[in-house]
Amino acid sequence: MASSSSSGLTFKLHPLVIVNISDHYTRVKSQLSLPPSLTSTSSAATSNNNNNNSNGGENNQNPPPRVYGCVIGVQRGRTVEIFNSFELIYDPSTRSLDRSFLEKKQELYKKVFPHFYVLGWYSTGSDAQESDMHFHKALMDINESPLYVLLNPAINPAQKDLPVTIYESELHVIDGVPQLIFVRSSYTIETVEAERISVDHVAHLKPSGGSAATQLAAQLTGIHSAIKMLNSRIRVLHQYLVGMQKGICPFLVIVVQIKFSWNYVNI
Amino acid sequence: MDSAIAQKTWELENNILTVETPDPSSDSIFYYDEAAQAKFQQEKPWANDPHYFKRVKISALALLKMVVHARSGGTIEVMGLMQGKTDGDAIIVMDAFALPVEGTETRVNAQADAYEYMVDYSQTNKQAGRLENVVGWYHSHPGYGCWLSGIDVSTQMLNQQFQEPFLAVVIDPTRTVSAGKVEIGAFRTYPEGYKPPDDPISEYQTIPLNKIEDFGVHCKQYYALDITYFKSSLDCHLLDLLWNKYWVNTLSSSPLLGNGDYVAGQISDLAEKLEQAENQLAHSRIGPLGPPRKKLQEESQLAKITRDSAKITVEQVHGLMSQVTLLFQIFRT
Repeated sequence: MASSSSSGLTFKLHPLVIVNISDHYTRVKSQLSLPPSLTSTSSAATSNNNNNNSNGGENNQNPPPRVYGCVIGVQRGRTVEIFNSFELIYDPSTRSLDRSFLEKKQELYKKVFPHFYVLGWYSTGSDAQESDMHFHKALMDINESPLYVLLNPAINPAQKDLPVTIYESELHVIDGVPQLIFVRSSYTIETVEAERISVDHVAHLKPSGGSAATQLAAQLTGIHSAIKMLNSRIRVLHQYLVGMQKGICPFLVIVVQIKFSWNYVNI
Repeated sequence: MDSAIAQKTWELENNILTVETPDPSSDSIFYYDEAAQAKFQQEKPWANDPHYFKRVKISALALLKMVVHARSGGTIEVMGLMQGKTDGDAIIVMDAFALPVEGTETRVNAQADAYEYMVDYSQTNKQAGRLENVVGWYHSHPGYGCWLSGIDVSTQMLNQQFQEPFLAVVIDPTRTVSAGKVEIGAFRTYPEGYKPPDDPISEYQTIPLNKIEDFGVHCKQYYALDITYFKSSLDCHLLDLLWNKYWVNTLSSSPLLGNGDYVAGQISDLAEKLEQAENQLAHSRIGPLGPPRKKLQEESQLAKITRDSAKITVEQVHGLMSQVTLLFQIFRT
């Protein structure tokens, strides 16, 4: 179902949206699960409950809830930048979207962020489903081609890639009937400096106060990890190229996109 | 050796932090217990003890939202509200939202406009499943540090009379970017006429000359709370994976260029302070017997100036080191 998109739009996603969706999901899930009591035995039971939920649902627990919301941002030419998001009220059983709520929220966000407008919607789950198309079509009167951001909340320690996919909708002719289907699009993570620092701060829970020494250590650790990543990626590329030379690996055109701000550094 | 000791200290600090890494059972912080909160509200344990609340826990989401909003204001102060709950002597901030008012308006006007927005927003939030109440306000001091000005102190005192429990948070987005770490402070004011039992030792921060009077007059009327952060297990997982795409941004960030204006402002402020110190020194020489007390005061002012200039240099060196030196070393053939 998910072939790659041909619309030619580039998508940029801000980390705030990811944290927003994750928080929305955690909130709804914790309100549904048993309230934590003070004794240690029942808190162990609660943790079992949560663990079971994140494993994809046993029959006796509630299946992980789906949350729905709207993503907002800016579209400049061919670049779509998703800055923020907010929750929406949607009832999947009756398939009704609360319109007045959406409009109210839109108004409120317009007052504080006048440049942003609705770019699409988000939800949680493992894969895009047929029923999602209904929601998608409902949003089409606000934005002619909305985006669908899907976050997979299952915590899988073996996972290496971010479980966020962005889908667009395209009109394809299937069996002679023109239908809208979801197609996957690629995206990059975009950030402003302040956002990066606070994400870094929370991700590694670095100490916030402190003398120049700890500050220096913190900053150098960050750069060290980044360089380690660069090194490992280059090693992979190198191994592949050597393999190609020996004839083990098939020839591939490798496009290396080095996204550094070279104009800042005068070499 | 120095480096070994430094590494051990760093590891020690790191270890302490990793113990607090959340596991799924600690996601219970996200559960909102309405009955318990209502009960706490009735009891009002803070009414008798002005120093009751000692800690603040801020969620990853709230921090991100506040910093992004503060930065988006540029050099204009922005403000917003925080939602959350209380837990013993800690105030927990779960979420934050921006208010459509700018720092140029006087506080009186801002409150009237803001209340309407706040009521609307809180209503929609409750519908969407965020059940917490407003538990504080935040605003930004772009470039001049995290402290409460005279107006802020009076606003907060009013808040603490009628909207308890309430917290004031100040963020400096400019210093955040230039220093590479989040500049944030959480405060609560003492009630009118209350004398704090001991002088709390606060971390020194450099204040620009035009604000230093405002800072000095009111700095005894409030106290700072300890800030810790928390995140859910899903947040943890996502942030870890995010790093796979993020490391490019870390290498390509350029703090020096982004904050050129701010650094220029800092240096000119330092020059003014030096001039002032010089004048004071000249005056004390004119006096016939220059009392020793004045000389001590002189020293501390010069010491402050040295600390400020050291801080500016450190930040510049960081920027230069990370960007120019390291990248040159890597990418030169």
